[in-house]
Order: sequence, then C-alpha cells, then structure tokens
Amino acid sequence: MEYALQQLLNALAFGAEYALVALGLAVVFSIMGLVNFAYGEIIAASAYAVLLAVAVGLAAPLAAVGLAIAMGILASVLLERVAFRPVRRAPLTTGLLTAFGVSIVLQNLFQLFISPRPQALPLLNGLNQTLMVGPYAVSSLQLMQLATAIVAGGALVWFLNRTTLGIAMRAAAGDFATVRLQGIRADRVVAAAFALSGLLAGIAAVFVLARRGSVAPDMGFMLVLKAFVACVIGGFGSLAGAALGGMVLGFIEVGLLVLLPAEYGGIKETLTYCIVIALLLLRPEGLMGTRRELGDKEA
Amino acid sequence: MADSSFASAPLGAPAPVSATAPAARGRRRMLRALVGGLVVALPVLVIALGIDLLAPGHYRHMASIAMINLMIVLGLQVYMGNSGIVHLGHSAFVGLGAYGVAILATPVAMKALSIPDAPLGLAQVQLHPLGAALAALAVVGVIALLTGLIIARLSGVAATIVSLAFLIVCHGMFLNWPALFKGNQAFFGIPREIGFWGVAAAAAGTVVLARLFRESRTGMQLRASAQDMQAARALGLDVTRLRRRAWILSALICGGAGVMFAYLTGTISPRAFYFQQVFLTLAMLILGGMATVTGAVLGTLLLSVGLEVIRRAESGLDLGFVALPQMLGLSGVALGIVIVLGMALRPQGLAGRLELDEYIATTLRRGRSTAAPGTAQGEREK
Repeated sequence: MEYALQQLLNALAFGAEYALVALGLAVVFSIMGLVNFAYGEIIAASAYAVLLAVAVGLAAPLAAVGLAIAMGILASVLLERVAFRPVRRAPLTTGLLTAFGVSIVLQNLFQLFISPRPQALPLLNGLNQTLMVGPYAVSSLQLMQLATAIVAGGALVWFLNRTTLGIAMRAAAGDFATVRLQGIRADRVVAAAFALSGLLAGIAAVFVLARRGSVAPDMGFMLVLKAFVACVIGGFGSLAGAALGGMVLGFIEVGLLVLLPAEYGGIKETLTYCIVIALLLLRPEGLMGTRRELGDKEA
Repeated sequence: MADSSFASAPLGAPAPVSATAPAARGRRRMLRALVGGLVVALPVLVIALGIDLLAPGHYRHMASIAMINLMIVLGLQVYMGNSGIVHLGHSAFVGLGAYGVAILATPVAMKALSIPDAPLGLAQVQLHPLGAALAALAVVGVIALLTGLIIARLSGVAATIVSLAFLIVCHGMFLNWPALFKGNQAFFGIPREIGFWGVAAAAAGTVVLARLFRESRTGMQLRASAQDMQAARALGLDVTRLRRRAWILSALICGGAGVMFAYLTGTISPRAFYFQQVFLTLAMLILGGMATVTGAVLGTLLLSVGLEVIRRAESGLDLGFVALPQMLGLSGVALGIVIVLGMALRPQGLAGRLELDEYIATTLRRGRSTAAPGTAQGEREK
C-alpha cells in the first residue's frame, strides 16, 4: 500500500515536470506555430546562470530560484528577438529547423565556454528532502513539483481567460490576422508568449537542478524531447493536451520502472517511446487533438 | 526569361503534347532524369578522381567518409526534400545497416570474442559480405516498412518528433543489448571490403537514384503534396502512401550508407549514429538546399571542406604569433550557425529550386536567346 502510494506520487511528480515543460512548448506553438527545439537550452541557460552566480559568491537558494526564473524569461524573449522573429512568417519547417540550429549553437557554446562535462551545483539540493507525512516518507521536491504544476496550471488558465493579453493570446492561436486587425500589436502578443514560456522553463530549471545537483550542456535537451513527446501524445498545439500528455508520460515511465526488473532498467526509455508510438497508432492526432478537416489550417 | 523559375518547364522545343501517349512522356521524363542525375553525379566522380590522383593518402579516407555522408544526406533528401517533413531520425537507419553487416559478416572467430552470447545463434553465422549487406538492407527495409506505417499517418510536426523518438529508441537498443550490439564498446573486426572507389561508385549511384526518385511519378506527386496538401488530396493522391514510399527508400539509402561505413572502417560504435551525425547531415542538406539532389551534393561538399578547417582550429591552432587553445564545440557552433543563418537568409538553400543540369540548360538557353533572339524564337515556333 505504502509502495503503491509512493509510486503514485512519483508518477504525479514526473508527470508534473513533463507537463510544465510541455505547457511551455505548447504556449509558443499554439500562437506562432514554432516547434521550439531550443527550449531545453533555455532551461540549461537558467541553470548556468545559477552556476555563474554561485561562482561569483551569490549563493542564496532563494535568490537562485529568482535568478533562474528571470534568466529563463530573458533567454526566451531574447531568442525570439534574435533568432525566431526573422522566420516568423516562414513555413513551419523553417521555424523548426531554425530552433534546432539555435539549440545546437547554444549547447556547443556551453561546451565551449564552460565545460563539456557536468558541473556540480548542489545549491538547491536542500529543496529535495525526505519528509514524514504520517507513516509515509515523501520527497519534498516531488510535493513541490506537484503543487507548482497545479498552481502554474491554474494561473495559466486564469491568465488566458481573464486578462486582455491572455485573451489576445488565445485569439492569436486561432487567427493571428484578425487579432492584429483589432489593433493588438503582434510583437507584444508573441513576446508575451515567449516570456510565459521562459517563465515555465525557469521553474523547470529549478526542479531539474534540485534533483540532479549538477548542470550539463545537454541537461535540457532530453527533458524537452520528452515534453515534445508529451505534446504529441496530447495533440500538438493544445494546452490541455500538453498537460494531459505530460501526465500520461509520467505514468508510463513510473509504471515501467515498477514493472520492469532492475536489470532491464536500461531499456526503460526505449519501451517508453515504443508505448508512445503504439498510442499514436490508435490516435494519430493525439488524445486531445482534433482531426482537421480540409479547408482548415494546413494539416 | 519569365518561365525560368519553373523547374519542370520543358527544356527543348515543346513536343506536341496531346499526340504523345502518357507512357511515352513518362519514359522521356525518366530518361531526362537519368541524364540529369548523371550530370549531377559527374562532379562527385571528378572530385574523387582528383583526390585519388593528386591528394596525399589520408585525404582519401576523409573523402571516403565525406562520400558516405553524401549518401546519408541524399537519403535524407529523398524523404525530407520531397515530402517537406523534417526527418531527424535517419541516422538510426545508418546504424541499423552498419550493425546489420557487423553482426552478419564479421568472422566467427572474431565474434567468439566480441559477441559470444548473441541470440538466435548469430555468433556462429558468417555470411558472404554481399549477402550480409543484402540481409542488413532487408532488415532495414522491414523496420522502415513498420515505422513508415506509423510515421506516414502523422501530421508534419508529430512525424518529426516521432522520427526523433525512433532515433533514441534505436540508440537505446544499440547501447542496452550488449549481447548483440556490444553496447557502448566499439564493434571491431568487420571485414574491410570496400575501398575508396567502391564508396565513390555507391555515392554516384545514389545521386542518380535520388534524382530518378525525385522525377518519378511518386516523387512528383509527393512534391506536389508538400506544396499543397489539400490540392493533392483533391486530385485523389494517397499522400500517406506516397510518404511511406519515400520513407522506405530514404531508409534503404541510409542503411546502404551504414553498410558502406562498416565495410570501409571495420569498426563501429553507437555514438557514430546519433545526434552528432544527424546535426551534420542536416546542416549539409540545409546549406545546399533540400529541394534538389544538387543541393545535397553541394552542401555536403562545402561543409565537408569547411568542417575540416574548423576541426583543425578545434584541436588547438598555432597561428605563428599566437597559439589558440583547444576549443571543443567549435564545429558544433559552426553547424548550428549554418542552419540558423541558412534558414533566415536563404531557406531554399544555395542550390535553390533548380538541379544542376536544369540550371545549365536555363543558362544556355538564356544566353542563346539574348545573343540571337530571332533564331531562338524561330526554332520555338517550328
């Protein structure tokens, strides 16, 4: 019983992390159709900012959290300005490849200027403690992840439904041209989407740091790949789908971890992707995706 | 001339179209594609000949690797260039081809040392290198058929992500099934059956094959569907089936490149068929232009030379007055910048829309019509 509860929390926490990152991707994709492969490097940039802050002697955990989030927003908005604005009106493929290129550049810049090897950064390890809730031992980090994902999700729903900018963003996801005809500046809506996405990246960076206790050039890439898979499961471009897909992915992973004998641990990733592919066989458009009819946006 | 932007515009005097049977027109189109493919393949062979005659020995090995990369880039072009869907998992097929021949063609004595516990008694099997290559390609083909069933059904973005997931699945399989693939360690002792000219011939042949596919009925229909999916569907084209065919051919070409790589170097490891190779070949294709076979050749040529220069700098450079330190990651930065700048400044790539032979023909025609507009006009009207 205790074991089952433990694993349930495990799955929820994993799922929450994937859902956060997947939401960050979906916010940008739904508005400007950009498949942001460089998102993992925004997460890595946040972590490296903390590393540099510690290196110059700024080692307060709370400040580090703020710094990571600020860096996430800054990096995301900056990338939009420098790299993605020139290809905003280009076909989807062009944006995707641009983001892929940006991702390679950033990963290699981290290698070049800091180190190809992981750097230890135990500053935020304090977030990851074992708490006793009644008879159960739970990880404080997992509880925080779950709580943050719920709060962030709720805040996102509030923002998108109750604020002018949020409503403009939702409208932009449907029909950008009409939004601009209403006198809302496109640059502002897009920048807001990237800032929101960067905010989520910063939060994700804090969690990844607290769990790993180190930074590495490719620390974000694999996580974002999982988040992409979560988006695909949920249906690309749907925010609710991204959150749901993240949770499904978390449950698949933890489920495999429980069911597989320890010596097969290595094939967990492989099996996860195989299950995902099987899911797509049943629903090629994703769980929450809708099959677009001819005459709608390009399939 | 106004019609120069249409790649498929008839080159000579237009034939009386209505009088010709469709089959004959198709044959003539494929013949022209064959000639065009040979024109594009010619520079590859000329460069190979130049290196064989003039360059010192170690350049031959570098050129062989570059030509294998050309095959991979062509494999990528067959799917990505014609369908317009980004493919990031092609290196998985390269790895499957390479490991296929490694497992089947390596001498039994060698396998007793490296993979004694291979399943299905594969450790006791040793095929003729050609048979092993065909068997490896058959395995690649079957896997491509199965994955193609899924990939071809997905929309563009989802197909890209799943192709990437496929790469990770294959890499994970190579790493975590040591009984068959030797895990993280290098798989050595593969018979070195292919030399410089074998690779050159394969690369040139692949150029022609890619060009033939591009101009074939399937290739043309697929390119049409990439430009306008709705119009293509409205014409009754089965886009899923077209994509699946391109996916399988692309996989076979990449698998063939893997076979070549294994037979050339004699040693392979999983890392060779992962993101590094995906980045490299993708950057090559984007630089040259993914719409044409010419673009694949041009991009591979330019980046192969360019990266060799950068690699020198990467391992520390002595400029005489100052010695630069070792700079790991420089070539990666360069590749990424090539992709980003290419997309921002010239998304169609250096080669653009026209194949080499079409470009030559257009230039010649333009030269002729400006020199003697009267005659050109007269010929046209005959």
